[in-house]
Amino acid sequence: MKRLFAAVTAVLFCATGATAQQNYPADYSKIVDAAKKEGKLVVYSTTDAASSGALLKDFQSLYPGVQVEYSDLNSTELYNRFIAEAAAGSGTADLLWSSAMDLQVKLVADGQALTYASPEIPALPKWAVWKDQAYGTTYEPIAFIYNKRLVPPDDVPQDHAALLRLLTTKTDAYKGKITAYDPERSGVGYLFVNEDLKYFPQAWDLFKAFGKAGIKVYTSAGAMIERVSSGEHTIAYGIFGSYALARSKKDPNIGIILPKDYTLITSRVAFISKQAKNPNAAKLFLDYLLSKRGQNIIANQADLYTLRSDIDGEATAKRVGELVGDKARPVPISDELLGTLDAKKRLQFIKLWQAAMKGQ
Amino acid sequence: MAELVVRDLKLRLGDNEILKGVSLVVPRGEVVALLGPSGSGKTTLLRAVAGLEQPYAGSVAIGDTVFFDAARKIDVPAEKRGLGLVFQSYALWPHRSVFDNVAYGLKLRKVAGNELRQRVEKALAQIGLAHLAERFPHQLSGGQQQRVALARALVYEPPVILLDEPLSNLDAKLREEARAWLRQLIVTLDLSALCVTHDQVEAMAIADRITLLNAGTIEQEGKPIELYTAPKSLFTAEFMGSNNRLPGKLKEKFGERAALMVEGIRLDGMLRCATTIGGDAIGVIRLERVRIANGPGPNRIPMTLQTQMYLGERWELVFSRGALSVRVYAPAPLPAGEHQVEFPADALWVF
Amino acid sequence: MSTRLFRFAVIALTALAVLAPLSLVFYQSFLDQPFFQPGAKLGLDAYEFVLSEEDFWTAFFTTAAIAAGMTVIAVPLGAVLAFLMVRTDVPARGLLEPLILVPIFVSAVVIAFGYVVALGPVGIFSILAKSAFGVVPWNLYSLPSLIAIAGLTHVPHVYLYTAAALRGLGTDLEEAARVAGANPLRVAVDVSLPMVLPAILFAGVLVFFLGFELFGLPLVLGDPQGVLVLSTYLYKLTNILGTPSYQLMAVVVVAIVAVTAPLVYLQRLLLRQSQRYVSVRGKGLKVIPLRLGVWRWPAVAIIVLWFTVTVAVPLIGIVVRSFVVTWGEGVNLLDVLTLDHYREILAYPNIVRGVVNTLGIGVIGGAASVACYTAIALAVHRWPSGWTRVVDYLVMLPRAMPGLVAGLALLWVFLFFKPLSPLRATMVSIWLAYTIVWVAYGMRLVSGTLLQVGPELEEAARTVGATDMQVKRDVTIPLIRTGMIASWLLIFLIFVREYSTGIYLLGPGTEVIGSLLVSLWGTGAVDLVSALSVVNVVMIGAGLAVAIRLGVRLHG
Repeated sequence: MKRLFAAVTAVLFCATGATAQQNYPADYSKIVDAAKKEGKLVVYSTTDAASSGALLKDFQSLYPGVQVEYSDLNSTELYNRFIAEAAAGSGTADLLWSSAMDLQVKLVADGQALTYASPEIPALPKWAVWKDQAYGTTYEPIAFIYNKRLVPPDDVPQDHAALLRLLTTKTDAYKGKITAYDPERSGVGYLFVNEDLKYFPQAWDLFKAFGKAGIKVYTSAGAMIERVSSGEHTIAYGIFGSYALARSKKDPNIGIILPKDYTLITSRVAFISKQAKNPNAAKLFLDYLLSKRGQNIIANQADLYTLRSDIDGEATAKRVGELVGDKARPVPISDELLGTLDAKKRLQFIKLWQAAMKGQ
Repeated sequence: MAELVVRDLKLRLGDNEILKGVSLVVPRGEVVALLGPSGSGKTTLLRAVAGLEQPYAGSVAIGDTVFFDAARKIDVPAEKRGLGLVFQSYALWPHRSVFDNVAYGLKLRKVAGNELRQRVEKALAQIGLAHLAERFPHQLSGGQQQRVALARALVYEPPVILLDEPLSNLDAKLREEARAWLRQLIVTLDLSALCVTHDQVEAMAIADRITLLNAGTIEQEGKPIELYTAPKSLFTAEFMGSNNRLPGKLKEKFGERAALMVEGIRLDGMLRCATTIGGDAIGVIRLERVRIANGPGPNRIPMTLQTQMYLGERWELVFSRGALSVRVYAPAPLPAGEHQVEFPADALWVF
Repeated sequence: MSTRLFRFAVIALTALAVLAPLSLVFYQSFLDQPFFQPGAKLGLDAYEFVLSEEDFWTAFFTTAAIAAGMTVIAVPLGAVLAFLMVRTDVPARGLLEPLILVPIFVSAVVIAFGYVVALGPVGIFSILAKSAFGVVPWNLYSLPSLIAIAGLTHVPHVYLYTAAALRGLGTDLEEAARVAGANPLRVAVDVSLPMVLPAILFAGVLVFFLGFELFGLPLVLGDPQGVLVLSTYLYKLTNILGTPSYQLMAVVVVAIVAVTAPLVYLQRLLLRQSQRYVSVRGKGLKVIPLRLGVWRWPAVAIIVLWFTVTVAVPLIGIVVRSFVVTWGEGVNLLDVLTLDHYREILAYPNIVRGVVNTLGIGVIGGAASVACYTAIALAVHRWPSGWTRVVDYLVMLPRAMPGLVAGLALLWVFLFFKPLSPLRATMVSIWLAYTIVWVAYGMRLVSGTLLQVGPELEEAARTVGATDMQVKRDVTIPLIRTGMIASWLLIFLIFVREYSTGIYLLGPGTEVIGSLLVSLWGTGAVDLVSALSVVNVVMIGAGLAVAIRLGVRLHG
């Protein structure tokens, strides 16, 4: 009987042409066949073409019958485009993959997502799956970056409290040299400072210190990293570790600190649209993204961080764990995030932030 | 070809009444000049005949074909009237060769191939510019451009050609030759022409009849010699030639004649339209009719010689007495001092 | 077809194309949610919110100040530059002309960044200045700097409009002035430029309007100093309530539309006596360049100076950045040279396709757009009707939407106007979007030259028997050729740089250079952005030079 079972499994395995995926349901091949019939997959994503290139190539080699139409947009554009197309009912993405966690969660909360329990769920951390609809796909630490040439080693802040100390004791030395996302104009920036409020009791003191030190705020990571590298600024607060890591590989001036008191972790959220015309292809891609094979590429070829604990390398959850121990604080993919989208709360926060910027 | 008849045409531009009821006739094979100072409405009248301006009353017709009739709400667009118009600026199309400029009108009439070429070449030969067919307008002189404009207007044999100041852009020497040539061409081709000009000499030289316009109305109409020798109004008299003005007071009227008191001296002249005895009147006399007499006599005023100018074929002398200033043509200069300036009675008009 | 039918058909189509996106935006401003979501209620809440925000008014007046400042800088410079290049014998004209146009087709973000690398607080030249003088004598991030750079980078726009009009002038007027004793500067100011006043006025109004649309420059140069303009303020509105709040953005657009009305009115007022500017008469005058004589060198100096500050400096910044790993304080550039960025960008996925698409939409799409713009310009040409006023306002409206909103509005049009839906996924939708947004700019280049065609040339054609439409085809259009070519050139350069207008209509396979640049910028790959920009500039510059060689006659 065992041999028969093994033989049948082996036959099924060969028939689907899939690599050995543990825990995949026996009827997974049905999904694969349906996807091949659909033949196409439309993805809207904020992950740029270079980073996603390796992923797409690998996915295509795995499922050659499925043609991927990959559109690279920024998070606001992705949101705008999706809701309009969904409302018009005239065809939109099958899968949405965005780094704007709050907007993704909102779309899922509004009922735009298909419920699908991925076979990869067992291998994922609990916080990364919500309602079997929204899935975190990466594990990107939010770091401090600094200019190695210009910041003396003693000044390099190892955690939030150290940064606060640095700014209050050496205000003049760092006047105009600090930079961060602008919570007023950047959704991601707002999200990060709100998370800071959760984990850092002296967060408002820190923000006031920012104001007194004449912090310059931006909406783009690129602008900030570039300016830190050139020395126009010397410390940047709240930068995507993935971007910083990619940059530091090319540029020896960039130093990265994962704050030791707590390090926020963001994750790019993916969900399958309920209106998907190619739902099966979307399922394949989602599973692929979450699979060991896909996450391996994410970690080692795509300059993103993997959230699976069974992968080794620099850009992995494992490595982050080594650096910050149990201080990693993933942003929750849940109703909690919707709180940050509350208009009244936002306006209140912004008022307080604006006062802090004036040092009050 | 029938005759062009314009009846009681009225035209307004903005708030201005440009034409206040103008009528004229261009009989077959004749040249009619529209003469007048600037602002008289002559170009507007020409353009209205062409269909480029819109009158609000009156009619324009050639024979039985009505181009415009306000009462019957007929207004044929310019491109359907089939008239020829030569612009003051010639308006040659700079992006087309001479040949193509002339040929365009025929092309529009669906003439093509050999027939087209022959007719264009014939038109160019008529104006003596066949050898310049491939040139472009900017390569031609002013006189040549004018002739091309004429050929363009004639090539499709319109019943009437309209000319807007055809000679005014030519230099003086050329102008005299051109006006002879133009008249000859028109007569040879047996065309009817309506020609606008502000130069009375040009009008008299070219035209069979002259219509003199003044501020939108017809001042006088007739043969050149009539307007010159028998002007009905002061305006006509002054416009048509070079004159001396003798302001004075009307002393008496007797039949065709009148007595004018000028600087206290009595001058007899031909009564034109002065009416009030004792009222103001003006004596007008052509420069060439004033004589220098040997001694005192009737119709003579003693005046002092002021200036003498040599004009080539004659001298022009300027005399003055009090406020009065008179110019006289003379074959030879005169000694300084006082002379008797005679104003023959049959040449002096009293207005 | 009768002229009347042509006129009204063109106007109707134009109105439809322009009002479709704008009416959606307008409608949106009175709602409290995206208009396509059920439960959206009418109200004035959005207006209340925006109009009571201090930031809005700050942004509005800052934007107006920048727009005014840059117009004051760009118009005289652009006009003088056009005069020198087109009417005089200043040396090296052939070489300079393509270079003058560089600021138009290089993305504003890239130019701004070039300035940061060159003149920023730790820029290459700043560091040199610091070591020489002890201080950096300029502040790149100040409002005056922003205005100066905005003005200087918009000189090419004014240049194109003025040059196209100047090409139609006969030289007799200038020569008369010269003989009367006027030096070339006086000739320019007293004779030539006044003759092309309509073109200059159009250019001024359009540049002023571009000031409201300014995004890249204030984003990179204004951010650090907290200088807020309407387009970066829109960024705020995108985030302030959590999810993008279209109604707030729509209110801003309505505010900008409110600026168009007085602008267009002013323009019409200043142009009332357009008959004065007729210069293409039937006199067939030759065009001889004015001899500058001793004025040559000051003239060359002006051109070189403008070019250095506006084109060379930021380009140096970008070029340097594309060849180094890092830059700034404490970095010896020679130590960090590399070709890696170029290797990376040339291996970037879809780059070739992006380039081909961009050139395609620029060349072919551009030509199609110019045909449309010419049709509109001809429709209102010599038409004594109140409808021309309507068209004047209509064509300005689309540019009242900053890029951020324009793209959205156009997506909505293609999504929700059912007849257009099948076009959405094709290049046609992108072409249509670009054509609508830039209508004023393309059309005015043609209008400026139309004004110069003497009425007698058209009347002469009518008297020999041509109908109105035949006159347009046989006489008018050949005579405005320089305007149409200039329009095509400007539109090509604008389309090549465009991104935000078609952003929601782009898809895989239709990506363009603009979208690649923005995508790279988003990930912080400034090095790749620089390399790609250099490649872009070289390509377009070379293309321009070739085109001029082949007789795309910029010199008419």
